Amino acid sequence: MLLYIHVPFCRSRCRYCAFHSVALGKGVQAEHSAAVHSYCRTVLCEMQAWAAHWGKLEVESIFFGGGTPSLLPVQAIGRLVEEAHKLFAVRPEAEISMEANPESLTSKAQACACRAAGINRLSLGVQSMDDAFLRILGRAHRAQDVVQAVSYARQAGISNINLDLMWALPQQSVAHWLHTLRQVLCLQPEHISAYALTLEEGTALAQEVDTGQFTQPDEAAQSAMFLEGAALLAEAGFEHYEISNFARAGFACRHNQGYWQGQDYLGLGPAATSTMAGRRWTNPSNQASWEKAVQAHSLDAAPELLSPLNRVLEMIMLRLRTSRGLPLADYTALTGLDFMASHAKLVTALREHDLICLHKGHLCLTQQGMLLSNSIISSIFEITEQKLRAQGWEEAL
Amino acid sequence: MPKQEHIRNFCIIAHIDHGKSTLADRIMEVTKIVGDRERREQYLDKMELERERGITIKAQTVRIPYTAQDGKQYILNLIDTPGHVDFNYEVSRSLAACEGALLVVDATQGVEAQTLANVYLALDHNHEIIPVLNKIDLPSSDVERVKAEIEESIGLDCAQALPVSAKTGEGVPAVIEAIIERLPAPEGDPAAPLKALIFDSWYDAYQGVVVLFRVMEGTIKRNAQIRLMNTGKEYEVLRLGVFSPEGKDVQQLAAGEVGFLCGSIKELGDAQVGDTITLAENPATEAVPGFKEVQPMVFCGLYPTDSDEYENLKVALEKLQLNDAAFSYEAETSQALGFGFRCGFLGLLHMEIIQERLEREFEVELIATAPSVIYKVDVTDGSTIEVDNPSKLPDGSRIATLYEPYVKMDIHVPNEYVGNVMKLCEEKRGLQKNLHYLAVNRVIVTYELPFAEIVYDFFDRLKSMTKGYASMDYEPIDYRASDLVRLDILLNGEPVDALAVIVHKDRAYPYGRALALKLKRTIPRQMFEVAIQAAIGNKVIARETVSAFRKNVLAKCYGGDITRKRKLLEKQKEGKKRMKRMGNVELPQEAFLAALRVGDE
Repeated sequence: MLLYIHVPFCRSRCRYCAFHSVALGKGVQAEHSAAVHSYCRTVLCEMQAWAAHWGKLEVESIFFGGGTPSLLPVQAIGRLVEEAHKLFAVRPEAEISMEANPESLTSKAQACACRAAGINRLSLGVQSMDDAFLRILGRAHRAQDVVQAVSYARQAGISNINLDLMWALPQQSVAHWLHTLRQVLCLQPEHISAYALTLEEGTALAQEVDTGQFTQPDEAAQSAMFLEGAALLAEAGFEHYEISNFARAGFACRHNQGYWQGQDYLGLGPAATSTMAGRRWTNPSNQASWEKAVQAHSLDAAPELLSPLNRVLEMIMLRLRTSRGLPLADYTALTGLDFMASHAKLVTALREHDLICLHKGHLCLTQQGMLLSNSIISSIFEITEQKLRAQGWEEAL
Repeated sequence: MPKQEHIRNFCIIAHIDHGKSTLADRIMEVTKIVGDRERREQYLDKMELERERGITIKAQTVRIPYTAQDGKQYILNLIDTPGHVDFNYEVSRSLAACEGALLVVDATQGVEAQTLANVYLALDHNHEIIPVLNKIDLPSSDVERVKAEIEESIGLDCAQALPVSAKTGEGVPAVIEAIIERLPAPEGDPAAPLKALIFDSWYDAYQGVVVLFRVMEGTIKRNAQIRLMNTGKEYEVLRLGVFSPEGKDVQQLAAGEVGFLCGSIKELGDAQVGDTITLAENPATEAVPGFKEVQPMVFCGLYPTDSDEYENLKVALEKLQLNDAAFSYEAETSQALGFGFRCGFLGLLHMEIIQERLEREFEVELIATAPSVIYKVDVTDGSTIEVDNPSKLPDGSRIATLYEPYVKMDIHVPNEYVGNVMKLCEEKRGLQKNLHYLAVNRVIVTYELPFAEIVYDFFDRLKSMTKGYASMDYEPIDYRASDLVRLDILLNGEPVDALAVIVHKDRAYPYGRALALKLKRTIPRQMFEVAIQAAIGNKVIARETVSAFRKNVLAKCYGGDITRKRKLLEKQKEGKKRMKRMGNVELPQEAFLAALRVGDE
C-alpha cells in the first residue's frame, strides 16, 4: 500500500494553482496556527482509525504532498512518520517523500531535522530557474532560493532529490525552457518532474491568458519543448520513465509508480483520495468537514466502486503513461481479450506513425505517442469498451 | 341523405403562410362544428410538425352542416390541401374531389408562385374560384392593389373578391354564404355504377388504412364489396363515415358526398391517392381520370449515427411508410457509414419532413447524405440504367451518355431582385425561358434548370438573394443529356462512397476545390494527418490537409486525479462515438452534408 498525507497549507496561493489549500498568510507561524494544530491531531486520528479498520498493512512508501508540507513544524512530520511505523508494516527501505518549497527550506538545521524525521526523498517545487517566470506564476521564491535549498538538503544527507519544473509557461520559448533545464541539471538532482502548465479555470493566470495579457506557446513550440527537453535530459543520463517524469537509474519515484501500477493507496488529510480494494473515495476538501467526517468514521461512506470495465480502462490509461507501458498479459488476464488482435487496425496505424512500439510483451508509447496520449488512450478506450460489450460485459458498463 | 343541390364541396388554395388553415379554423367556428373549448390553433393541421412549420402535410377534410341565410340546410365539405410544391399531385387529387375553391391571397403580400400554380391546377379542374383577400386587419394590407394583381396575373374577376381577416374572423360569414351562392352543387347520378375518387389515405393502427374519398357517381353502402380499380383488389366496407370533425358512421354515401371508409386494407400502397373505388358487383367501366403513381424524385442515404440503432431506424421507416406511400426506402450499405437505407422523397421539403419526424417522433439519430436526383445512363454495352446514388455511377469509360432531369421553374419576385435571380439561375446552369411582368413591380422569371441544381442550396440562396421576397414553383419536364462527372472524395487515399457527388464537368474544378476546403473546415484535427482529395476518375483536382494534433496530453495523473482523468478520456471517446470512422479518419456527421453547403461562403 502507498500512504499519502495531504498537507493543505500554503504560505500564499500560486497564480496557476487550483488545488485546495489554505493560505496561512505572511506573518503567521505554522506552530501558532490553530488550524495547523487541529489538522495534525486529526490526521493522526485518521491514520489510527484506518489502521484499526484495515490492520497492519504493508506500506511501501509515504508521501507528504500538498499544499506545502514543509510549512508544517518538522516535529509534526516526525510524529506522523513515527505513527505510521507503529500502525503499519512500513518496509525498512520504504521511500518517504516530502514536498517542499525552496523558500520554506531555509537552513541546514531544518533539512537535518527533516532527514531525522525519516524523510529520505525531497521534492522541491522549483517550476522555473528564471525569476521572470517565477513572478508570472506567483511563486514566493527566486532561483537563488532553489540553489540554497538544494545545498541545505545535500548537506543534511538527503540523497534523493526531485525538482519539479513547469514548461509551456506564458511567454516561454523553447530556448527559455532548455535553459531552465540546463541550470537545473547543474544542481545534479536524482529526479526531475517536468509538467506542461495546464491552465485551470478560475485561476488568476488562466484569466490573464484569457484576456490576452499573456499567451501560452503554440502547439508546435510546446511539442518542441517536450521533445527537446526529453532529449536533453536523456543526454544527461535521465530515463524518461513517465510522460512528465525523469530519473537517474534507481531513482524513479516508487510512490508515483505505485499509482500507475494500480496499487492500493490510502490518502489522509483534506481532499486526499484513497483507493482500497476496488473502492475509491475522496476526503472533504474543507478542513472542518474533513475533521467531522474523521470523527464520524464516515470518510468512505459513499465510495466510487470501480467496475471491472473501469479497472481495465484505468490500467490502460495509467500504464500507458509509463515508458514500460501496458503489459499485454495483464490486459488479457483482466479482459479475456488479445489486445493486439482486438485493436489490430489501430495498432497498425499507430505503429505506422511511430506513436507506439512493442517491447517484451508491453505496448508502450513513443515520445511522439506520449504527446498524443489522450487521443491514443481514448481510441483504445473506445475499442476495448466495444469489444467488451460484444462479450456481454453489458451490466458491468 | 342530403340532396345534391344542398352540397358544396370546396377547398382552399393559398401560398404558404397566407392563412389557409386559419381561415379553415374560423369557418369551423362560425359554423359551430368546433366549440371554443376544443378549439386548438389550426384544427386541421393535426401533426405537431405541421403546426410548427405552419404548413399542411397531409390533407384533412371536414363535413360542415350549415343553415344558410336562405333558411335551407346545407352540407359543406371542406377539403384541405397540402401547401407545398412537393405535394402537387395530392393537391390535384383534392381539387378533383371538389367543384370550387377559395383562393386565399395575403393582402399584404400579393400573388405568389404557389398561388398561381394552384390556381392553374384548379382552373384545369374547371373550378369556380372565389378570391378571398386575407389579413385585412394588418395596416400593410392593400386590397385594391392585390385585387388588380390577381386580375392581371390570373385573369380572375375580382369585383366580388371578399376581404377577410381569418385572424379576427371579420368577413368569414360572408365567405360561407358565398360558397353556397357562388359555387356549383356537385353532379353525378346516385344510381350509376359507383365511382369514388380517393384523395387521401392514411394508416391507422386499429383500423388499417383509412381512405378519404369523394363519390363521383353512384352510391356506396356499408358492408358493400368494393374494388380498387388500379390494383384490382377487393375489400368489404367495414366502416363508412364522415368527419365532422370527429368520425361519424353513416349507412351510405351517394354521388356528390365526401366521406371515409375502412376495410381491412393493410397497406397504404393498396389504396393510393387518385385511385377509383367501385363496386365489385357492378363495376364502373372507366376510372376517374388523372391517376398516377407518385414517384420519388429526390434520394438520400439515411444512416443511424450509432450502428446499434439500425434496427430502430428500420422499424421507424416501416412505420413512416405506412403513413406515407410517397416515401420509399431500401437497404443499402456504405463503406463509410455502414448499414443504412437509400430513401426516396417527393422533394426537398418532403425529405426534410421525414428526417425531422424520424428524429423527433422515433428518436433516431441520423446521418443523412447529400440528396441526389435520378440520373439515366446509357452504358457502352447498350443498356440503360438509372442511378440514384452518385457512388453507383459507372466509371466514365463505361458511360456513353448521361442524362439528368430538368424542371421548369417559375420564380415570382419584385423587379429589383430580378438581376439576382437571373444570376443565381445562370450559375445553376439554367436556361431562361421567359420574363413576364405580373404587375408594375412584380416579375415572373421562368427558367429550365437541372433538377440536381435545385436539390442543393437553391431555395436558401434564392431566399437570401431576394431578402425572402421570391417565391417559386417547379415541375419536372424531361431528361437531357449533360456533360456530368462523378467527383470522388478521398480521405488518406481511400474514396468515401457517401461523399461522392455528380457535378457538371465545367463546374467540377471549382466545386472540387470548394468541397475539399469545406471538408477541411469540417473535419476536426485528430492524431493522424488527414489528406483530403477531390478526384475525377484517377485525376486529383484538389487537395487539402487537416494537420494532426501536435500535443494532446495530460500533464499529471496521480492518486487524486485518476477518476477525473479517466472520465475526461472517456468523454473524448464519447465525442468520437458521434463520428464515423473511415480507416484512420474520424468523420463528423456534418462532413456528409458538406456537399450541400459548399455555396455558403
